[in-house]
Amino acid sequence: MKANAKKKILVVDDEINVCKSIRQAIESEDHDVDMALSGEEALKKDKEKLYDLIITDLMMPGISGMDLLTSLKTARPGVNVIMITGYPTIKTAVQSIKIGAFDYLPKPFTPKDLRSLVARAFKSSESDKEAPLLPVAPEDLYVMKGHTWTRKEGKNLATVGVLPEFLQSIVSVAHLDLQKKNKNIFQGEVCARITDEEGNVHRVWSPVTGKITQSNTTLTKNLALLKADPYGKGWLLRIETKDIEKDLERLSPSG
Amino acid sequence: MNINKALTAFLNLPLRIKFILSFLAVICFGGVLTLTLGTRLEHQTIISLAQAKVNHDLASAWMVYNDKLSHIQDIVRLSASLESLKNALKTDEKELLLRYLSQTRNDFNLDMLNLTDARGRILVRSSRPEISGDDQSQDPVVRRALEGDTVKATQIVTKQELTKEQGLAEKAYLQIIPTAKAEPAARDYVEDGMFLVAASPLVSDDGNILGALYGGILLNHNYEIVDRVKEIVFKGEKYKGREIGTATIFQYDLRISTNVKKENGDRAIGTRVSTEVNEAVLKQGKSWIHRAFVVNDWYISAYEPIKNIEGDIIGILYVGMLEQPYIDLRNKVMATFAGMAILSVILLLVILFFITSSIIQPLQQMVNATKKIADGELNHKVDVNFQDEVGQLGHSFNLMTENLKKANEKLVQWGKTLEKRVKERTHELQEMQDSLVRSEKLASLGKMAAGVAHEINNPLTSILINTHLVLEKLEKNSAARENLSLIADETSRCSDIVKGLLEFSHQNPPEKNFADVNDIINLSIDVLKNQVTFQNIKIKKKLDEDLPQIQIDPDKIKQVFLNLILNAAEAMPDGGSLVILSKLSENKKNIEIEFTDTGLGIAKENINKLFDPFFTTKTGGTGLGLAVSYGIIEQHKGRIEVKSQEGRGSTFIIKLPIS
Repeated sequence: MKANAKKKILVVDDEINVCKSIRQAIESEDHDVDMALSGEEALKKDKEKLYDLIITDLMMPGISGMDLLTSLKTARPGVNVIMITGYPTIKTAVQSIKIGAFDYLPKPFTPKDLRSLVARAFKSSESDKEAPLLPVAPEDLYVMKGHTWTRKEGKNLATVGVLPEFLQSIVSVAHLDLQKKNKNIFQGEVCARITDEEGNVHRVWSPVTGKITQSNTTLTKNLALLKADPYGKGWLLRIETKDIEKDLERLSPSG
Repeated sequence: MNINKALTAFLNLPLRIKFILSFLAVICFGGVLTLTLGTRLEHQTIISLAQAKVNHDLASAWMVYNDKLSHIQDIVRLSASLESLKNALKTDEKELLLRYLSQTRNDFNLDMLNLTDARGRILVRSSRPEISGDDQSQDPVVRRALEGDTVKATQIVTKQELTKEQGLAEKAYLQIIPTAKAEPAARDYVEDGMFLVAASPLVSDDGNILGALYGGILLNHNYEIVDRVKEIVFKGEKYKGREIGTATIFQYDLRISTNVKKENGDRAIGTRVSTEVNEAVLKQGKSWIHRAFVVNDWYISAYEPIKNIEGDIIGILYVGMLEQPYIDLRNKVMATFAGMAILSVILLLVILFFITSSIIQPLQQMVNATKKIADGELNHKVDVNFQDEVGQLGHSFNLMTENLKKANEKLVQWGKTLEKRVKERTHELQEMQDSLVRSEKLASLGKMAAGVAHEINNPLTSILINTHLVLEKLEKNSAARENLSLIADETSRCSDIVKGLLEFSHQNPPEKNFADVNDIINLSIDVLKNQVTFQNIKIKKKLDEDLPQIQIDPDKIKQVFLNLILNAAEAMPDGGSLVILSKLSENKKNIEIEFTDTGLGIAKENINKLFDPFFTTKTGGTGLGLAVSYGIIEQHKGRIEVKSQEGRGSTFIIKLPIS
C-alpha cells in the first residue's frame, strides 16, 4: 500500500492504558493511530485530521461514546465508528448501530478480535465505493444496520439472518458457527460466528432477545446460500422472542 | 341461730334422707290436717244428725205424753156427760156416785177421780170416800171446769192434797239421790207429786153447772209414758246391753219417771238434772238439745220444759240417745281414715324410696365416677338407663369424660411432639433467617457486581491485549510463551466470571408456564449423560409419574437441575451413583426433587456457605452455580436444602410449590 493511503485511526477512551493497548494492537504500517482521552478531545482532533476510523469507548465521563457518535455522524455521515462496550451497556451498543456505528466490540477482547473488526470496517468502506449490486432487502424486515436482519413470524417468533453488507465486509466465508438450539440469547449478543479464509473470526449479533428454537443446519453445510439467498434460505436462526416490540425499537426498518 | 344450725344440719344430710324427711314432713302435715279437719267435720255431721234425730224423737215423746193427757181428758169429759151421773148428782145419791166413780177409776187406771159440787167442794173422793167436803175451788183446773171448760194439764199436787187420796203420798215420795253435776239439793226427799190432770163440768139440761169431775194419774214412779216412748220411738233397741234410747219426766229437776238405768240396773229415779240443763230449761224456759251427761253416760239429749195450766214451768220432758254408738261410729270412721292415711304414707314411702333410688343411684354412680376420673381413670363411664334429666346428666357426663380423655390424649401427644415441633420450628426459623440473609447478600452483591464489572473490564482489556501483543512478538519456542498463554487464558476466565456475575445480578423474572418436572429432569439427564464426567456414574431415576404440572420457568429450572447433576458428578471423581427422585410432599403442597450422590460430601463448616456467591471448593469453579440456582428456586417461591455427610455423599432437595 502507498504511504498516503495510510488509514488514520483515532482511539478514544478515558483510560490511558486501554488507549495505549488498543493503539499497540492495531498500529501498523497501514494504520496511523492517534489517542484521545475524552469525547471533547476526540471531536477537536477529528476536526483537524478527519480520521478514517474512530474507535471509542461507550462509557466516558463528559461527552459519552453515544454523544460522540452522534456528533461525528452528524458532521461526517461517512465516517466509520467502532464502539467499545462493557457488558452492561450492550443495549446502548445495539442502539449505536442504529445511529450509524459500524460495529461494537465488548470488552475484554484480544488484538485479533479488534484487528478483524478494523479490517472489516475498511473493507466495508471500500465495498461502498465500488457499489456492487446487492440483493434488495424485502420490506418486512428490521435490520441491525450492516449486520443482521429479523423478520417477525407470528406473535413470538422471529427469523434471523445476516445482511449481504456484512458478508461483503468479510474476505470470504470459510466457516459458520451457529448458536445451539434451546439457548437463550440477548439482543446484541453473539448469535453466530463467521470465520474467514484468513482465520479472522467475525461475531454476528442477534437482533432480538429470546430462545433459539431452530438453527439452520442446512446453511452450515451449504455456505453458498448465505450470499445466494440472504433473506430466504440463508436464514440463521429461528428465535422464540421475549419482547420483540422492545427489540424492534432499537432496530431500523428495512428499505 | 338454732334454726340456721338445724337447717345446715338438714342440708348436710344425704340426699335420700333429705328427700324422705321432706316428703314425710309434707305427708304428716297434710295427713294430720286432713285427719283433724275430717274427723271434726265428720263428728259434727254425725252429732248434728243425732241431734236432729233426738229433736224428732222429742216431738214423738210429746205426742205420747199429750196422748196420755188427752186420754185422761176424754175419760173425764165422757164420764161428766153421763146423764145417769148427772141425775145421781141431782138426786144426791152418793152411793151411786161413788160406785160409778170408783168403777171408772179402776177401769181406766186413774190414780184419782173426784167430783165437786158447783162451788168446788168435794162431793165424792173415789179413792177415799170418807174424806169429803174440802174446797177445791182454788185449784186452777177445778176452777176452769166450774167455769164451764173441759181442761187438761200437768200439775204439781202438794203432799197435803196427796195424803187425802188413797196411797198417793207414799207413791209420790222420792228419796233424792245426790247426783254429779246437779245443783245441791235443799232436801233429801220430795213429797209433792206430779199429775196429769183433766177436769170437766157437769152441766144440767138447762145449762146450769152442777159440779166438776176431775181426775188424773200420778207420774211419780209411773213408767208408762216413758216406757211407751222408748217402745214407740226407739223400738227397744239396745247397744252393748244398754238401752239406746231413754225418756224421762222431771218434776222440776228431779227424775220421777225414767228408763235411764243406774249401773245396778235400777231406774235412775231420784236423780237430778245437771246444773246446765236446769239453768237453760227450768229457769230460762228454753229447749236444750246437746250432749249431756245423764247419770253415768253421755247422751245426746233433748230437754223441753213442762208447764202447768198457768204457764209455769214445773218439769222437763227428756229424750236421749246413747252417744256411744255415734262415738263408736265416729271412731270407726276415724280409724278407717287414719288407717288409710297410714297406708298411703307407707305406700308413698315405698314409691319415694324407689324414686329417690332412681335419682340417687345414678348420682351416686356419677359421684363415684367423678372420684375415679379425678384419680385418672378416664375410661370410666356411667350407665345411662333412662332419658330423664338424670339420664341426660349421665349422658353429658360421659360425653365430658370422653372429651376429657381426648383432650388428655391430645395433651400427652402434644407433650410428646412439643419438643420435636420446637426443634422443627427452630430449624425452619434458622433456615428462614439464613435464606433472608442470603437474599440480602445476593441483592447487594448484584448491585455491587454491576458497578464493579465495568471497572474490571478496562484493566482486563489492557491485560488481555498486551499479553497477546507480547505473545505475538515472542519467538515460537520461547519458554515464556506458556506463561503468557496462561495469563491470557486466566484473563479470559476473569472475563467469564465477570460475565457470570453480571448475568447473576441481572436475573430476569422467570417466565412461568405449566410444565412437568419429570420432563425437565429427563431432558437435563439427556443433555449430560454422554459427557465424559458421567462415564463411571450410574444415574437412577425414581420419578412419581402422577405429579401435577406446575407453573415454572422450564429453562431456569433446567439450569438448576443441570447445575446440581454436574456438581454431583464432580463430587464423585471415582464414580458412584446419582439417585434423582421426584415426589409429592407429605402435605401435598409441594413437589420435591432430590439429587442424592455417593460422593465426597460437604464439610460441616461449608454447608452454610454453600449457596453464597463465589463460594467454591472446586479448582476452576466460579462459585456462582449454586448461588444462581438458589436465586432461581427463590424466584419460584421454592426452597433448596442440603443434607450431607462428609465421605458418604450429599442430598440436594428442591421444593417447588404447587400453586
